[in-house]
Amino acid sequence: MPQPLQSDSTAQTARGNWPLPARLLASVLILLYLAVVILPPLAGPPPASELAGVMLQPFRPLVGSLALSHGYRFFAPNPGPGHSIRWTMTTADGSRKTGLTPDAKADWPRLLYHRRFMIPEKLAAFVPLPEAPAEIRQEAVRDWQPLVEDIATRLLARHGGREVSLDLIEHYLPDTFEVREGRGGDDLVMPLGRYRWREEASR
Amino acid sequence: MTATTDKRISATGELTWAATWVDGWNRFWFTPSEPLLLAVLRILTGSLLTWSSLVWLLDAEGFFGSTAWQAADNVWRMNDQPWHWSWYFSAGSAGSITLLATVSLLAAVLLTVGLATPLAAVIALAGYVSAVNRAPLNTFGFDDALGLLLLPLAIGPAGARLSLDRLLWRRAEPVVPRVSATVALRLIQVHLCVVYFFSGAGKLFGASWWEGTALWGAVANTQYRTLDLTFLAWHPLLTNALTLGTLFWEFSYPALVWPRLTRRLVLALAVLVHLGIGLAMGMMEFGLAMLVANMAFLPPSLSLKGSGPESGISPPSSSIDAHS
Repeated sequence: MPQPLQSDSTAQTARGNWPLPARLLASVLILLYLAVVILPPLAGPPPASELAGVMLQPFRPLVGSLALSHGYRFFAPNPGPGHSIRWTMTTADGSRKTGLTPDAKADWPRLLYHRRFMIPEKLAAFVPLPEAPAEIRQEAVRDWQPLVEDIATRLLARHGGREVSLDLIEHYLPDTFEVREGRGGDDLVMPLGRYRWREEASR
Repeated sequence: MTATTDKRISATGELTWAATWVDGWNRFWFTPSEPLLLAVLRILTGSLLTWSSLVWLLDAEGFFGSTAWQAADNVWRMNDQPWHWSWYFSAGSAGSITLLATVSLLAAVLLTVGLATPLAAVIALAGYVSAVNRAPLNTFGFDDALGLLLLPLAIGPAGARLSLDRLLWRRAEPVVPRVSATVALRLIQVHLCVVYFFSGAGKLFGASWWEGTALWGAVANTQYRTLDLTFLAWHPLLTNALTLGTLFWEFSYPALVWPRLTRRLVLALAVLVHLGIGLAMGMMEFGLAMLVANMAFLPPSLSLKGSGPESGISPPSSSIDAHS
């Protein structure tokens, strides 16, 4: 037998507090919420079916309004290598600065580090590896360059810079046998370009 | 004659089947429950949101300003504009951005202490949505978990217990079980099952999860690592067991968390997995937020009496409990 939380009489009284029309309305709203919870991870990230994408369409306003467009693919399909952005800057007074984003020493507390850590992690999804065909790398520039321009703008504004060059670093992920043998590998370096304030560039 | 009788029996059977579904749905969503657990979830979620809001505020210009890590007019590249609204899109100055981030922080504090709780919950939700929709480049699983908790807290009677609202204005009122408390807890439970299902299903694509080496990928990633577990390189079978155990636990969670027989085990493993991620990978906030969401499966009255395998933990009752 089902086990209600309260006695039958209490449950009946409370159910009486929510009459049939209220329960019907609540049921519709619950189903609507379940739809906006289930459809986004079904529709993406790839691979995803066209059907899921079509079904998601009418719910896009609600998904966006409640910030529910998650894929929930934590550490999937495989935990991959970590990434950083290495930058070299010329400041307004002509001196040079270098740094990393995220910076484990400066970015404190850890949650702030993690929010900045997500920048190169998400950027890496747009930047093809150096061994990718030149055509693909060229096409991808249109996707990642606007994001990198924003990152460069942030770094220049934050550090009082005049010009900054950036590299995306993919940190080598050693295998277990490499660790056992005390070996490692080289990080991958993917140049992201040199950036300066627009007014300086136009001079 | 026989055919007519058979037809009638069949129709009755279908009606009974449909009525069972309706009754099950009603019991699952609309059986009233104590608001105590929801109040505890409010305090814990509010505390995490307060911390998150404080950290957003530490670099408000960098996350939401005109020279942010991602410019406002580039946000569409990572989310679905115009639906992913944010109040930061209309903030023109550094002062207004700081003000809005401070409003989010204050709403989170009020939610935690339970003062003007319904209003605080709605503003806290709006502040959360505004932050994650404005700065998608800086969000991760912690934010997903907070979102999972905040909407149900705004719907349910989260301030009915353990709140300043109750202390100041409703001290004499008896605490009665509420249907809205059940709806809120159920939304968290079901949403959490969706999260684990897709997270587990996504891992089934990965060879390293099948090979039992995925955990090593997380351990060896120096950008994440806060605890040196590289000794696992000398214990591949242990790595295999931990990886496969995590995969099986996550993928089976949506099914095994409901029967009384397995619920305690599944929740105990959730504590190990999420505290492990929190300690070893420096994502304690994510781990804690997921554990808070898991707490929705505790008894709503938080009474341990009768929570043994025989009587079953009934977080609010469900027809699934009945069959377990």
